[in-house]
Amino acid sequence: MFALYRKLIAASIRSQMQYKINFVTSAATTGMIMVLDFIILSAILYRFHDVVGWNIYEVGMLYGISSASVSLYRLFAPEINDFEKYIVQGELDQLLIRPVSPLLLLLTRNLDLSRVGGVVQGVSVLVISLSGLASEGKSIMALVLFSPIAILSGGLIYFSIGLATAGVAFWTHQMKDMLTFTIYAPANASNYPIGLYPNWLKWLFFSAIPIAYINYLPMLTLLGKGGEWFYPILTPVGAAIAFYFARMLWNVGIRHYHSTGS
Amino acid sequence: MVYWRIICKSYRRNLQYRLSHVINNVASSIFGLVFIAIWTGVLSGKQVYGPYDVKTMGYYIAICQSVLWMTTFLSPGLNVQIGVRSGAVSLDMIKPVHYLWYMLSQEFGRLLYNACYRSVPIGLLLGLAVGFFFPSQPFTYFWFILSLLLGTYIGMLLFYLAGISSFWTTEIRWVHLILLSLIFGLGGQMIPIDLMPGMIGKVTPYLPFSAMIYYPVMTLLELAPPYGMLVQAGWALVLTAVALLVTNMARRKLEIQGG
Repeated sequence: MFALYRKLIAASIRSQMQYKINFVTSAATTGMIMVLDFIILSAILYRFHDVVGWNIYEVGMLYGISSASVSLYRLFAPEINDFEKYIVQGELDQLLIRPVSPLLLLLTRNLDLSRVGGVVQGVSVLVISLSGLASEGKSIMALVLFSPIAILSGGLIYFSIGLATAGVAFWTHQMKDMLTFTIYAPANASNYPIGLYPNWLKWLFFSAIPIAYINYLPMLTLLGKGGEWFYPILTPVGAAIAFYFARMLWNVGIRHYHSTGS
Repeated sequence: MVYWRIICKSYRRNLQYRLSHVINNVASSIFGLVFIAIWTGVLSGKQVYGPYDVKTMGYYIAICQSVLWMTTFLSPGLNVQIGVRSGAVSLDMIKPVHYLWYMLSQEFGRLLYNACYRSVPIGLLLGLAVGFFFPSQPFTYFWFILSLLLGTYIGMLLFYLAGISSFWTTEIRWVHLILLSLIFGLGGQMIPIDLMPGMIGKVTPYLPFSAMIYYPVMTLLELAPPYGMLVQAGWALVLTAVALLVTNMARRKLEIQGG
């Protein structure tokens, strides 16, 4: 199955690389737009120094991980994020008649290469924050080692949330509006310490939309903010559990699917 | 009047999506709640100079989030680019109404719909979180509506200009994204622009982006600088002239994509 994935992805990349300039400009613009976003945050923290005790480099760690994770998801799974069209326009029928799992086909259909810019932006923010933390005399070894794990787990968590939203779309026949609730607003929220939010939101981010495990929880421990020793382990474990449940929901959904017949 | 009828028609066309939008408002409000929480975290326990204490920032963000649905969340390119791609633009251009005002009227109908089904519910929802703000002067309501309309008008013209650039490029995806991030970055949505550091803080009050978000919100809060509305009016005039000019150029450039 992995060999097949590699083959299909390679074909997808080859077809998009026919338009190299488009790739470079779109990736650069995506990255630039996201940089502007971070500048605003820096402007606030520059003036007010910290947000509930997290300084700019510490928030930068949260921001970089979340930003790179969500970009990773958008890079590899644009068709999941855009799944509504498959149900509404009945395009899913074409995938169901092939001898390969429809999920695998969706994941190889298209890569949104412009999101590479977002990954680069997130990693850059991480590098800046790490060097800032180092200049404050903090030990950053554990942070450097943990960052890739956090980004990959975060990507998987966002993917699981996207997949679960798509799974629900089998019943609701729409998901674009729901994505604001399940992906866009939470992704924005996870750029900052989750401790900021009202209790019901906190609860939501630790359960149904589990973004707290991506960066906030492990960083509590790794930045010495009073987390337990095992919090970083919860990041990959949380990702695996989220993926398991999302996959289940998706499978139930796809069995439930009735074509529009158009 | 013909433009008014276009506005009404476009308003009614949007009504069919009412229910899904009302649900979506809850999701949009979460963005507002997140911003409010961030500012509460930033400001709490600190001595703040100027008008921005926790309470005022709460109002500021709440009003911003509902103003956005009038001045900023417009149709990308006002859908000019769709007509250019399909060739339908040639039919619109020979209509006995001016193309610019025709497109603007259509969008304005949509924005009136947004005002009723997006701005007001979001304002109410966020008001429950931060409390409701009532200006001390009754005249403030008048100035606010004027400022909001100017902001809406400037927003529509900027989006129109992005859209009409498709006459030369056929696609506006990146122009639109850049415009949107300039508005979000420099318009005052997340941070009141007078709090921005250095040169950015000096320049942004005079850019058209602040006319779309910052000035309407500050007018309602009775905190706007006296020249605020002048900046808005100035940009409204300049952008009208540019839009008319570019529309003429586009008309001359018009090529129909067969079919």
